[in-house]
Amino acid sequence: MKPESTPTSLLLNWRLHLIVIAMSVISEWIGIQSIPVANAKLLFLPLFYAFILCLFFNPNILKFSEKIITKKQASIAAPIIVIGILPFIAKFGTLIGPALPKIAEAGSAMIIQELGNLGTMLIAMPIAVLVFKMGREAIGATFSIAREPNIALISDRYGLKSNEGIGVMGVYVMGTMFGTIYFALLAGFFASTGWFDPRALAMACGVGSGSMTAACSGTLATSFPEMKDEILAFAGASNLLTNATGLYVAIFITLPFSEWFYRKLSKDNTSTITSKESH
Amino acid sequence: MTTQTDTMNEEASKEIRLTLKESIIALIVMCLVSLVSNWAGAGTDFFAALPAMLIIFAMVVVGMLLSKFIPIGFPAVAWVSLVSVLLTIPVSPVAAPILAELKNISFLAMVTPVLAYAAMAITKMEVDLFKRSGFKIAVISILVFTGTYIGSALIANAFL
Repeated sequence: MKPESTPTSLLLNWRLHLIVIAMSVISEWIGIQSIPVANAKLLFLPLFYAFILCLFFNPNILKFSEKIITKKQASIAAPIIVIGILPFIAKFGTLIGPALPKIAEAGSAMIIQELGNLGTMLIAMPIAVLVFKMGREAIGATFSIAREPNIALISDRYGLKSNEGIGVMGVYVMGTMFGTIYFALLAGFFASTGWFDPRALAMACGVGSGSMTAACSGTLATSFPEMKDEILAFAGASNLLTNATGLYVAIFITLPFSEWFYRKLSKDNTSTITSKESH
Repeated sequence: MTTQTDTMNEEASKEIRLTLKESIIALIVMCLVSLVSNWAGAGTDFFAALPAMLIIFAMVVVGMLLSKFIPIGFPAVAWVSLVSVLLTIPVSPVAAPILAELKNISFLAMVTPVLAYAAMAITKMEVDLFKRSGFKIAVISILVFTGTYIGSALIANAFL
């Protein structure tokens, strides 16, 4: 192995970090902005600009960027996020700890909202099967929010090269690329409608990955500054619970349900589509 | 020449797994980057926020060590949050000083660089997948995200 391609030397290469620092600083300076939409408003946070700005520096997206940073040098960004989310998780924990008594009071709501995933299927599965005529990709794509544990489950059950695998990977990739941003926009929008208890919106923020939770609850906290600590604590606790229980909810509830729902929806086609796997 | 570039590209798209030492280097880099972002966003001086970042650094290292040496399949993320939650619950003797220091670090400013790295981490494979089946998958993904969010919010709202 050439010396310049070891993880350590890639980690210490200044180009990637300099781009990240420069774009983060610019984004922080632009600050929080909002656009009114009907009676609600869309909130834009610095994390949003940082993401968009850095897309222009990604050599996999713009060929020109290869003059600034090579694909090899950019590739270390993936493992950095895995580690990079940890300091932020630690900060998150210090918001959950002091609020633990309050979270315990909301106990049942906290645990039962983990089933929100079923809502996903009721909306997304019919569109996937009936409108887009998707096959078993629909199961992989809609049974969960497609984070790492869900991919592990699908890869274990069906294999990642299977139709179900392609479905889950597609949504995973979309989530990685735009999920965080989308969750932030969604939270800001619902916050301004006043339809939900801010604590319920905060718990819903915890359904995805750590960075989704962060972006989503950050937006909520900006919308309800007087409830900031409580919101961040509820979102963090919900995400912790998702990490702990998400896999089991998927194994025992949402994946079997989506198999059943898929069979119902594609009744006409079941004779032609024969599944290769057997239980 | 061509084959060499191909292997290079293949190598670049392969997943890199970090050792504990490399993880700690990445962590130090991340903490420094976060301090700069925190300074730009919250206006807190780099050195004023340094003790807070050291506390966070220590929590993460403890969490990483726990996940390495207690192999019960608990990911590092869960250990780190367990450590920081337990240190700051109301009965913890160190809760007050830790919380007082951590006020110097803005929660949102810590997320900004993570998203910047996320944009840099998008690979050729992901761009290709997006181009190939972009439209359908994009619509389904938006439905999945919206459905899960509203589903959870509705249930939580009903049980609060």
